[in-house]
Amino acid sequence: MTESGDLSQHISRRFNEDLDRVRSQVLNMGGFVEQQLAKAVTALVEGDSTLGETVARDDFQVNRMEVSIDEECSRILATRAPAASDLRLIVAIIKAITDLERMGDECEKIGHIASRLAAQERPADKYREIKHLGRVVQNMVHDSLDAFARMDPEAALRVARQDRLVDEEYEAIQRQSITFMMEDPRAIRRVIDVMWVVRALERIGDHAKNICEYVVFMVHGKDIRHVRLEDVETELARRNGGS
Amino acid sequence: MAPVTAFRRTWSELLRNPLDHWGFALWRVALVAGLGALVGLFVGHVWWGVVAALAIELARHLAHLHDFEDWLRRRNRRDPPDAGGLWGDVVSLVSRLHRRKQFHKQRILRLFRELRRSTASMPDGVIALNAAREILWFNRKAGELLGLRRKTDFGIHLASLLRVPEFARYLDKGEFGSSLRIHPRIGDPTCLEFQGAPYGDGQLFLLVRDVTRQEHLETMRKDFVANASHELRSPLTVIAGYLETLALDGDMPADIRAPIIEMRRQAERMTAIVSDLLELSRLEATDEQVIGQPIDVGALLAILKKDLAARGGAAHQVDIRIESPEGLMGDPGLIQSAFWNLADNAAKYTPAGGAIVLRWWVDDLGGHFSVSDTGPGISAEHLPRLTERFYRVDPGRARDTGGSGLGLAIVRHVLQRHGGELRIESVEGRGSTFSCHFLPLRLVHEPVAMPSDSRYSSSQQV
Repeated sequence: MTESGDLSQHISRRFNEDLDRVRSQVLNMGGFVEQQLAKAVTALVEGDSTLGETVARDDFQVNRMEVSIDEECSRILATRAPAASDLRLIVAIIKAITDLERMGDECEKIGHIASRLAAQERPADKYREIKHLGRVVQNMVHDSLDAFARMDPEAALRVARQDRLVDEEYEAIQRQSITFMMEDPRAIRRVIDVMWVVRALERIGDHAKNICEYVVFMVHGKDIRHVRLEDVETELARRNGGS
Repeated sequence: MAPVTAFRRTWSELLRNPLDHWGFALWRVALVAGLGALVGLFVGHVWWGVVAALAIELARHLAHLHDFEDWLRRRNRRDPPDAGGLWGDVVSLVSRLHRRKQFHKQRILRLFRELRRSTASMPDGVIALNAAREILWFNRKAGELLGLRRKTDFGIHLASLLRVPEFARYLDKGEFGSSLRIHPRIGDPTCLEFQGAPYGDGQLFLLVRDVTRQEHLETMRKDFVANASHELRSPLTVIAGYLETLALDGDMPADIRAPIIEMRRQAERMTAIVSDLLELSRLEATDEQVIGQPIDVGALLAILKKDLAARGGAAHQVDIRIESPEGLMGDPGLIQSAFWNLADNAAKYTPAGGAIVLRWWVDDLGGHFSVSDTGPGISAEHLPRLTERFYRVDPGRARDTGGSGLGLAIVRHVLQRHGGELRIESVEGRGSTFSCHFLPLRLVHEPVAMPSDSRYSSSQQV
């Protein structure tokens, strides 16, 4: 079945502890990014400029975490020369923190826009679409990190499938925004800002999907990037049935 | 030695009681050998007869041994073999041991199941963590509250699944004197309270409670206070405005004039209470630490001195002692409001001619601001409760001073938001010292340029 059990069967306990520590650091960072995302969306939806500024200011912490985890991974690679599933874990972590850092950057962007938009009149729908999209993306990030913590490839694939929902939502909001702009040219500035936010949320969804792919890679040793999800599922089902 | 003594004992028992099982077995071997010899005598091969008879006896033993071994292997599904004599003894001994073990196992299992059922029915969640803060065990409620899964989540770092930064900090800090309240899913109203209880060798019991309802009630209470104060403000402004006009009206008959002046004074006091309540509810709205900007404490104290001179009432000797050039990092409006509340209190309670000292100094522990007065002092039993809202040392005096009763509560909250602390020392009859202590990381060492912020200019609220 899965190879997560292998992690606990190591000759060197210190090595194992190193891996566990760096893994929980990644999830710590993930927790912080989740919080940043939630704050950024709240700041925009509730028109809280201070909160938006706070999110933008705190992004440096995400960057700092990325650098420190990156260094830790390099140290493990250099001193322990991990192989097989351990190597995959380290590679997956190095990739995952890049995605988390990008998510942080997108949150920073949303924070900036939120504090700028707070000064302006809020639209009649009170950013209902953004609120909804924000919740979907937040759930995706949360579930992808849960899958990472549990090393659960099935859950990871379930999350990856949600990315399509986000993409559809993104398209819908885009169409709606174009209508808004045609109806009321004075709102163009605001709607463009909103489009940036929606775009940022959509990107965050993509990064969450990437993290899910690393989970599958880590557990099954199979790279599923640029492969259709259905193919991945049948392949994994075949393997699980075979073993 | 042991086998020899055992043999001796067996032999002596055999002689004493020739018909017990061992004796019987030995007699039986002898009998079989004798019978074999007899039959062999008839056939003409005595020794062959003995050998054949003993071989039959051995086969019988082997058959019993086979039965016994078969039963041992499948003892849970089979009844013990029915064998007499020595083999029956062995079988009954072993089966008694087996039954006893089975009984203990059942008892422990029952106990364990009972324990699990009882913890499952607990209204609160319980999680046991090892020294590395990995999940060892959790009850059903904890699983429900945190979304943990029984099959997969043992051995996973709890902070990896519950990724709220405050929670990771709470676990890492290792101080479990107080509980922690967090919203596990951001944007979800669910609020959980955690209380750690360390045990054994670094392990930790974590109690989890769903406090969504309490949290909701508290928010409602806070909102109510904020809304009520806000709603009271507009009618009060109208009343105070008319009273002011009336008080300035020179044609007013003297017997009405005095009540109107008193009404105006009380309306002003009410306005002060309402604005303090509003400020307090704003402060309470969040626990987050203020970052703020550099504040020139020297300049701030100079403003406070000027304001004290302008506030009217009894005249005091006000001294400023600035012993360190460092500035303070904080929210200028909040810090000024806190310092002014302390200075104003001192002026209120110190009789005319008394001395008030405003002091700012820095040492290894951080920055300190203190207000000392030569007032009547406060007796020790009041000190712990002094920062409670509307707490009065002398309820009769409240009306004279015109305070809102919220000043020290505001000071305490402002300091909390700056990671600081309020300490009160007082000797009855000699005076009191209220001091604010700030951590070293709150200090600014470069000279501070005072921003020309309107908030600095005057702190007296009307």
